[in-house]
Amino acid sequence: MPFPVSARVSRTTLAVVPLVAASLVLSACGSSSTKNVAAASSASGAKASTITTPKIAVGFLMVGSKKDYGYNEAVYDGSQAVAKDMPNVNVITADNVPESNAVTTAMDSMVSQGAKVIFASSYGYFQYAEKFAVAHPDVIVLHQGGFQKDAFPANFGTYWGQAFEPVSLGGMAAGGTTKTNKLGYVYAFPIPQTIANIDAFQLGAQAVNPKAQTYLVNTSSWCDPVKQSQAAAALLSQGVDVLTQHQDCQGTVINAAKKAGKYVVGYHYDAQSLDPSGWLTGSAWNWAPIYKKIIAAAAGGTFKGSPYNANWVGDFAHDDNPLTLASIGSSVSADLKAKITAEQTALKQPGASVFKGPIVCQDGTVLYAAGVTPTYDQINSINCLVKGVVGTLPKS
Amino acid sequence: MSLTSEPGAETETPVTRDDLTVEFDSPTMVEERPAVVTTGESLADRIRLTDWHRTGVTVGAYVAALAAFGILAAVKGANPFTVYHSMLNSTFADTGSIQQTFLRSIPIVLAALAVAVPARAGLVNVGGEGQIILGAVAATGVGVAIGSHVPGPLSWLAMGLAGAAAGAVWAGIAGVLRSTLNANESVTTLLLNFIANDIMLYLIYQPWKDPNGSGQPQSKPLDHHAILPKLFGSSLNLGLIIAAVVAIGVWYLLQRTGWGFALRVVGGNPEAARRAGLPVKPLLISSMVVGGALAGLGGALNLAGVETQLRPGTTITFGYIAFLASYLGRHNPAKVVVASVVFSAIALSGNGLQISNGLDGQIVNVLLGLIVLAPLILAKHGKRSA
Amino acid sequence: MNGVEQALMFGVDSGTAILLPSLGEMVGQRAGVINLGTEGCMLAGALSSFIVASETGSIATGVVAGLVAGMLCGLLHGWLTVRRGADQLASGLVVWFLALGVTSVFGSGYTDRIVTGLDPIAIPGLSKIPWAGPILFDHDILVYVGYALVPLTWYALWRTRIGLSVRAAGERPEVVATAGGRPQLIQMSAVAIGAGLSGIGGAQLSLSLGNWTNNMTAGYGFVAVAVVLFAAWRPLGVLAGSYLFGVALATASVLQAHGVGVNQYLLDAMPYLITLTALVLLARRGAQQAPEALVRALTHAA
Repeated sequence: MPFPVSARVSRTTLAVVPLVAASLVLSACGSSSTKNVAAASSASGAKASTITTPKIAVGFLMVGSKKDYGYNEAVYDGSQAVAKDMPNVNVITADNVPESNAVTTAMDSMVSQGAKVIFASSYGYFQYAEKFAVAHPDVIVLHQGGFQKDAFPANFGTYWGQAFEPVSLGGMAAGGTTKTNKLGYVYAFPIPQTIANIDAFQLGAQAVNPKAQTYLVNTSSWCDPVKQSQAAAALLSQGVDVLTQHQDCQGTVINAAKKAGKYVVGYHYDAQSLDPSGWLTGSAWNWAPIYKKIIAAAAGGTFKGSPYNANWVGDFAHDDNPLTLASIGSSVSADLKAKITAEQTALKQPGASVFKGPIVCQDGTVLYAAGVTPTYDQINSINCLVKGVVGTLPKS
Repeated sequence: MSLTSEPGAETETPVTRDDLTVEFDSPTMVEERPAVVTTGESLADRIRLTDWHRTGVTVGAYVAALAAFGILAAVKGANPFTVYHSMLNSTFADTGSIQQTFLRSIPIVLAALAVAVPARAGLVNVGGEGQIILGAVAATGVGVAIGSHVPGPLSWLAMGLAGAAAGAVWAGIAGVLRSTLNANESVTTLLLNFIANDIMLYLIYQPWKDPNGSGQPQSKPLDHHAILPKLFGSSLNLGLIIAAVVAIGVWYLLQRTGWGFALRVVGGNPEAARRAGLPVKPLLISSMVVGGALAGLGGALNLAGVETQLRPGTTITFGYIAFLASYLGRHNPAKVVVASVVFSAIALSGNGLQISNGLDGQIVNVLLGLIVLAPLILAKHGKRSA
Repeated sequence: MNGVEQALMFGVDSGTAILLPSLGEMVGQRAGVINLGTEGCMLAGALSSFIVASETGSIATGVVAGLVAGMLCGLLHGWLTVRRGADQLASGLVVWFLALGVTSVFGSGYTDRIVTGLDPIAIPGLSKIPWAGPILFDHDILVYVGYALVPLTWYALWRTRIGLSVRAAGERPEVVATAGGRPQLIQMSAVAIGAGLSGIGGAQLSLSLGNWTNNMTAGYGFVAVAVVLFAAWRPLGVLAGSYLFGVALATASVLQAHGVGVNQYLLDAMPYLITLTALVLLARRGAQQAPEALVRALTHAA
């Protein structure tokens, strides 16, 4: 149900006067993250490639802690890079915003702070973000990780990367390093991205080690350290010697591998420093480039009809995949490292795909016949685990 | 599992239970109990309100709570005055934020009344959270099943009734366990919260998962006919009116009906109530059922008016906030409603604090706690009935 | 190690984070005070121990910090309920909300840290016992502390003068007062010590995971309170209830790791259902066992 424009405008006007006062006091006492960012940008602004835009306020919403060494920290880092490199952009952030109507109220607060572009970064924010866009035609709303099947409102877009590309490279590192041929995957929810990631991880692993198998445990939470630690322990005592994960926060899983003296392949954030010897490699989000492009388009009035007013998906082929291969650890042999690098280059070629057929599901059915290269949309709706994955998905 | 082989089980001396256990109606017990309330509570409350000293202490307590919160904000590097300002700003400063505050208060007011009603009978309902969740679950089930087959008002009614019924059953379980097996309802309602949450998760991750939700754990969205209509072009919806009417109804039930009176008698002294021929067990159970129905309705209205789709974590801590609101309002319907609206505002203001002041949004939980804490510190509650 | 053994072993681990708070809560309830704030005291202990361990590098200092934070948390609840006559359940929820907010605010700088050191120690000899050895004797030190505290708590409550006063304060405080004792002091101390154990329970959680996350106790504290009632205020019952819960929690992960598809969500509900069922089955007996002052507090709670 659209929010009546008249009501919204009057509310904004009402809110402006006290807000200006508030922000003056605020900047005087200096406590907010945006303030710190401003300081940082003036300090190091000279060297970075600054992008000049018209003045604009941009909001970022995160579902977890902005310091989770994972998904949300990557978003936060991206927002801070924007603040640093785009001096006319006022960055507003909110973390720990649960996936409920709280999303709407948080976006409302951002708009009343003058935000004209809002990045809703959690998967479960999708409906709230889209509805908010419909209700606020003058605010550009972007959803991170969603996939809009219907027509796009002129002020709405989604963006993501072909996450399974670097994940398959991580699978290679895992498959090539394992001694037991058992890899463990701790995941949160059986959503399409995760299923594709699990499959890609196994495909990468078996490409260098046909005996490698990936064992699954799900935690049904984006960040529940207790469940993660139990899942990791269960996998480790199964003989698994490489752990990887798909939750927002990854400290627990890395720590579990570290304690057991086993290996870990990270996801979301380069956390090599947490476990230098056990860290094989991982995937790390680098959101800043796409954030900057979207904000520049929005500030310049060219958002509508642009590639960002759609389902934007970066990939290796276009050299714009926001999910990148993280640093490769010292436990990965030089030979394996060379194979991973070669595969990364190969994936950049047109027509290359992690999921190039033949791909066979667990039950033996052929997902993609030999020679078939699925589209991103197809990969994003895979509902089967590939052969070599041990475990089942909760029925849907 | 054998509990009998435990150390000490046979040798519990020298304090033996037989020496100490007192009969339920022993003089000591009765003395310790709150006096049976025989006059209208509202009258008593009015007398209390005119007690300026008491009011002064209460106001002082809240000022102290705000001050303590300001100190915490200052420790975290924010200007306390800016903090209060942006809290007001994001909750009561303009029509938009006032609407958000009242929207949020719909489930919290009803869940708080769900605490207040059983409290009259001396029962403690800590299960508002689970009752809200199952109310939302039932409303979703009915709403999605009905789809667009029936006109809006009918589906609103069906969803509301289903939500109330689910909440009633959930609280009723605890009521029955209490009155038949003497299982402590404060603990059973608490456990039922976690079970309710798992039931909801089970449904939205598997059988009820939206096939068009790209795998997200969520139910199918309600048909737009089934969504509660907005009021006068605002973001408020019909649920607010329903909640207001129900709240008045609760006040009437408790203050003006024989049932409400009987609950108070039971709450004052069950043994005396039993001797006076009151049906104590049915009264206890009915108070829980009515309470559960209120919270369930709150969950249903929140779903049908605000969320329109069942997702994990849509009700995080509403039920517990409501419990504290009811306690703060001393289970008096009018005060409970006021306390609930204020608590809804505080809970909501976390956004503003984070966005304008760079504070952690969860800091509002501290203020919620402090506001309940302050009167406890400044005014001794010990022997009061409430 | 087969699946059953794994589930039992992990159950002992995660059960310890319930056992310690639950033993503490038992002491408090024996003295007539129920503390729903146990959840909050666990959070306080989890964060304090994590911060201290992270800053000093010493796990032991961290555990002590967890104990102190838990005791402070318990003192607040004890003071409110015993001295100020506050409703025990409401006071407990207040303590929980305060701890939830404060730990979130002060923990935000620590979510990206890892602490190591609370590692499993295989007890020489005992850990080699067939079957039971690895399940029971290859854990971190706080698990062994949990083992030790079960008989210690029993001894302290039923075999010492102090324990007698605690139980007497929980039955008939006025009798204690008449006999020249100070029931309020006893009750407050019991609550504070109990919450101190909750703090250590929280420390076991954050230090053994090596990680701090907002609201990481996720309901464990509430379960710990329920386990005390399930156990009818007996140390062995608390032990059984805590490990039962721990094993049920661990089972989902173990089954999945063996490639067995399970309904995660219904399995998640099992521990609560088991506790609820046990509560109901034991309710009659439990009601007779309940400390009298506690019964009064709960029935007066409204």
